[in-house]
Amino acid sequence: MVVMETVSGRRSPPRHRVAGGASLAGLLARTARGDQDAFAAAYDQAAPALYGTVLAVIRDPFLAEEVTQEVFLEIWRTAARYDQDRGSALAWMATIAHRRAVDRVRSEQRAADRDRRAATHAVAYDEVAESAEHNLERERVRRCLKWLTELQREAVTLAYYRGRTYREVAALLGIPAGTVSTRMRDGLIRLRDCLGAAR
Amino acid sequence: MTGRAPEPHALIGAYAMDALDRAAAGRFERHLARCGECASELAGLRETTARLSAAAAVPPPARLRGRVLAASGHTAQRRAESRWPSPARGGGRSITVAAALVAAVAVIAVLVVVAIRPAGPAPGGPAAGRRAGLAIAAVLTAPDARMLDVRLRTRGRATVIMSARAAALIFTASGLAALPRARGYELWLVGPGRDRPAGMLPRPRHGMTAPVVAAGLRPGDRLGLTVEPSGGSGRPTSAMLLLVTL
Repeated sequence: MVVMETVSGRRSPPRHRVAGGASLAGLLARTARGDQDAFAAAYDQAAPALYGTVLAVIRDPFLAEEVTQEVFLEIWRTAARYDQDRGSALAWMATIAHRRAVDRVRSEQRAADRDRRAATHAVAYDEVAESAEHNLERERVRRCLKWLTELQREAVTLAYYRGRTYREVAALLGIPAGTVSTRMRDGLIRLRDCLGAAR
Repeated sequence: MTGRAPEPHALIGAYAMDALDRAAAGRFERHLARCGECASELAGLRETTARLSAAAAVPPPARLRGRVLAASGHTAQRRAESRWPSPARGGGRSITVAAALVAAVAVIAVLVVVAIRPAGPAPGGPAAGRRAGLAIAAVLTAPDARMLDVRLRTRGRATVIMSARAAALIFTASGLAALPRARGYELWLVGPGRDRPAGMLPRPRHGMTAPVVAAGLRPGDRLGLTVEPSGGSGRPTSAMLLLVTL
């Protein structure tokens, strides 16, 4: 119980707000009222993160482009649902993007196909480390990922950047699924704490 | 409701990263609907996954911007307000329970999605929204489903749809007194034995709380509501604001 308390996620949203997050929230509020200029500005702010996320999961640039378009239309249609009290605008948008990307790969890829790609799983983390874009956020996240245990890092990056289920990650790493789900949770919490401290 | 995390709770990290298969996601969402603290923990984890997203940023092809903006020009938006029924219309004596239930299905299906996706939406396609709908469909479609409309002792009113056959109920409220951040409304099943916690109400939006599904109804249970610390209590620590005979 004491251990659970120390790792359990008490919410502290403003700490993790990305640069420009507040105005992104404002842009979403205007988007919800049908303001196309605000939507365009929100696109400009968020598109690299959302497209990059979708691309990481889907791997195919053309399909990623199509899915990113769907994501932004979803954002356009449902912007009124975004509630600032419940999290940052980027978190809301990234959740939509990631879920859509994952749904797409899971519906389109046969299990066997995915297993063939399994061999490349180590790439997931390297890619974050090496990608051409050297933004500040990438540097921070890269540094904090190093602070995770190897298992936590594998579990988090395979799930988030490869769209793997925790059972697939368990099979890939040859460890029990229950352990993987726990590492995903405490890995994210450790990452959160590191990123919060780095701000 | 505090204390040791039950088994499904360990899946919260995987859920935040969309790393659950359908069956596990459904199990987790049932847990989420009953877990007062999960929504805020999940929101916190999603702030972290948003950082992972930002770290993966890649400039999209330039043509995508024009396509997105053009497509938005002929895509209708959903209005948040239309999802909330007017509390002023409460009572509904003129419509039959059956008709009210049909309306409630539509409203609640949307509301539950909101409740289950605290960080946001259920994007159209995914099965999550349908799963959430299924979780309450058992109550709504039960042949013995009944709808009760009740006033709280302080202020506000509540709508309860319950089915003895499904052994579950759906609870929403409107016009509740606002509470400080550290406190929340907790539902109870008040039976012959010990009072059983039946979930924390989500924070109200537009004066309404998103629906809570309380399962495990037993014959003779009554439904209670109290104000508790926001993490929930193991037993009621304040006066019942509501005590409904089901």
